[in-house]
Amino acid sequence: MTPAADIPLKEPTISAAAGDAEQFERARIDASTRVPVLMFYASAMVWLLIGTLLAGFVSFKLHSPDWFSDVSFLTWGRLRPVHMNVMVYGWASMVAMGTAIWLMARLCRTTLRHPLIIVTGIWFWNIGVVIGVIGILMGYSTGYDWLEFPPYAAVVLFVAYALIISWAVLMFRFRRGDQIYITQWYLLAAFLWFPWLYAAAQAMLFVVPVQGVMQAAVGWWFANNLLFLWLGAIALGTAYYMIPKVIGRPVYSYHLATIGFWTYALFSSWTGMQRLVDGPFPAWMITASIAATILTIIPVATVGLNHHMTMQGYFPVMRYSPTLRFTVFGAMSYTVFSVVGILISLRSTARYLHFTEASIAYSHMGLYAFFTMIMFGSMYYIVPRLVGREWRYATLIKLHFWASAYGVGLMSLMLLVGGLTQGADQNDTSMTFIESVASVLPYVRGRTVAALLLTVSHFIFAFHFGLMLFGLGRTSTVPTFLNPVEAEGSEEHL
Amino acid sequence: MKGLVPLFIGLFGTFAFSWLGLTVIPNWQIGALNPQTDEEGTDAYPTPKSGMADRGRQIYAANGCIYCHSQQIRPDYDSADIDRVRDAGPSPGPKWAERRSAPRDYIFDRPVVLGQERMGPDVANIGKAAPTEEEKPAASPAANVAATSPAPAQSPPPNASAPKPGTSGPPPAAPATSPAPPAGSPPAPPAAAANPSPAASASPNPTGLPPAYSEAWHHRHLYSPRSMSPDNRDSTMPAYKFLYEKHPISGERSADAVQLEGRDAPPPGWEIVPTYEAKCLVAYLMSLDQSHPLKEVKTAPGGAGPPAGSPPAAPAGSLAPAPPKK
Repeated sequence: MTPAADIPLKEPTISAAAGDAEQFERARIDASTRVPVLMFYASAMVWLLIGTLLAGFVSFKLHSPDWFSDVSFLTWGRLRPVHMNVMVYGWASMVAMGTAIWLMARLCRTTLRHPLIIVTGIWFWNIGVVIGVIGILMGYSTGYDWLEFPPYAAVVLFVAYALIISWAVLMFRFRRGDQIYITQWYLLAAFLWFPWLYAAAQAMLFVVPVQGVMQAAVGWWFANNLLFLWLGAIALGTAYYMIPKVIGRPVYSYHLATIGFWTYALFSSWTGMQRLVDGPFPAWMITASIAATILTIIPVATVGLNHHMTMQGYFPVMRYSPTLRFTVFGAMSYTVFSVVGILISLRSTARYLHFTEASIAYSHMGLYAFFTMIMFGSMYYIVPRLVGREWRYATLIKLHFWASAYGVGLMSLMLLVGGLTQGADQNDTSMTFIESVASVLPYVRGRTVAALLLTVSHFIFAFHFGLMLFGLGRTSTVPTFLNPVEAEGSEEHL
Repeated sequence: MKGLVPLFIGLFGTFAFSWLGLTVIPNWQIGALNPQTDEEGTDAYPTPKSGMADRGRQIYAANGCIYCHSQQIRPDYDSADIDRVRDAGPSPGPKWAERRSAPRDYIFDRPVVLGQERMGPDVANIGKAAPTEEEKPAASPAANVAATSPAPAQSPPPNASAPKPGTSGPPPAAPATSPAPPAGSPPAPPAAAANPSPAASASPNPTGLPPAYSEAWHHRHLYSPRSMSPDNRDSTMPAYKFLYEKHPISGERSADAVQLEGRDAPPPGWEIVPTYEAKCLVAYLMSLDQSHPLKEVKTAPGGAGPPAGSPPAAPAGSLAPAPPKK
């Protein structure tokens, strides 16, 4: 018997009485998380819209640089870091914490205690992001990627984080049952790693600054691990919960999951320096990171195989479950993102792709196609359980999905191909530099089209989410399906 | 998995491994480098930057220059960085670099702005590309000739600006669009008369474009990136006009006024002058120079490429942790 059978994964199919008790317990747990998790989601949605508008603005300004360039706080070089930091700290971190807290409560089978402290933490976190954004716009950016917020904003974020996560971790004290499910490994890991990572980067860059190029090494070490060990870990944990949950089938293999988890922790944490390939660093650092990047194929393969085998025979469920569709898209993107990451970090390809738009494509594949899509999926699952209403329009969900999927697909394609052109031209010394810029411009314009698609997608989702938040969802016991007719015949998979 | 303790130990251990391996140990290796000096302990390189240049680096970081301009030169076996020449300047333009970058080049930099993308060219040696003192007088005769013509701003750039004759953008454009003060209009004469002399002393070329990569060139480039020569219309660099101020000319034209023409030129009687921030930024750019040889890195002699068959003293990949100090 796999250990997975012990844990509350499936919808109860046992006796009706026991089923009722579990339903009641779950409802109680969900109710305890309602206010903080919805606050997380609402804040994250606001930041997502701001970040999306900024993204379009930044993308447009890159090929039309004279647009609003005469105002200091609207200059491209300040809006770009604002966009990145709003997305990372405003949208991604907040939606991740919301989902993580809900999952934690569910998996520990305990109510969330002291939600008001978490609510205070959320306010602090929002204030921290606002302070940081204003700091960058005023011209106090620190100049380190993903750490552009002035250090005083980081202090606020840190206080907020302590308030939020201490209670999420303390849920473990009150947990019922001995089993720690896979999702909880990832969540606990993320909760532990993020403060260490953030504190270490802040300390080594601002408190006791390291010398010279070591700052860049610390900066990339931070940025990469923020993506993998904080956001990526939460996304993978969420996928491990949502996929089995929606199709009503335990995870295929615990052993694979264990291997996948520990190799992920070991290898992804060593990546990052490949972004500095051929830079002024000891070669062993960069080679170690390239080797670690290649080795991430192990967690990718095990996690991917595990999800695939779990889904085996259930792929048609994606046709009508919004959660599953988004989550599986994200889980598959994790594989694509990692394989692209390996390909662009090899020295032979990095020669052409280093210093080009391809690195932007890589970041977006990680942060959007992988992380954000899984988070959208979790929101489609969790929000109805918090507000007691179902999503109103299946059409809007479909539009959201396709606009997001095509948007991020187009963006990745444009930037990868554009990056290759740009890099090839830059390595051809018979061409002037400006010709390499000219050759990438059409792709950058294509990226703006992708940004428009994503903007449409996010506004649709925000509208739909707003309906849910104000109690305008459907009152129904049946979840919203994307293709209700097909769904009827297969109700055992609900 | 049962029990929190093994989980926590594992999580702690893996992350500690990464933290030690990628930040703490490298910091022990290259985190306390000293400037290199010669046998007598003189000729130290690098040296800390001046106050203005140091402030300029912060402006460089805060305004996001770092997102499009790198400041690191890759080795010649893995890239064309060292072979590349700059677009502007007398043909052939100044080279991007003579050698790859090394950790020691950055020991006084904070923040260190290595960059990650090249929508714009690498600027690790942009200060080195500035015209030398010997080159400046070469432009003077041209300046004298230009000063005698009725409208100095309209004469085509004599040298240093158009390496390829086919791509001279500004000269045809300048006469058509330039609102440069026509001689004889009431407010113009003092400005027009004052124009050649201070400009000539600040930078020897009062025609359309200052010598490539000079201070005046940088100011004009920051103010109006797409007006540069050779044809720079594809440049995606934003104009940093907010770093400049528009003043009415009182008495003489300021020595550091930005030399502009066409659409960008201020109305007659007005001038565009850099703010202190712009001056700091340009001072920083002018200070960027990694041409000083380092013992741990081989230098391409005279831009002619490395001597064939001679292995570098220290392989470029394995930078020695401790400098061979005297």
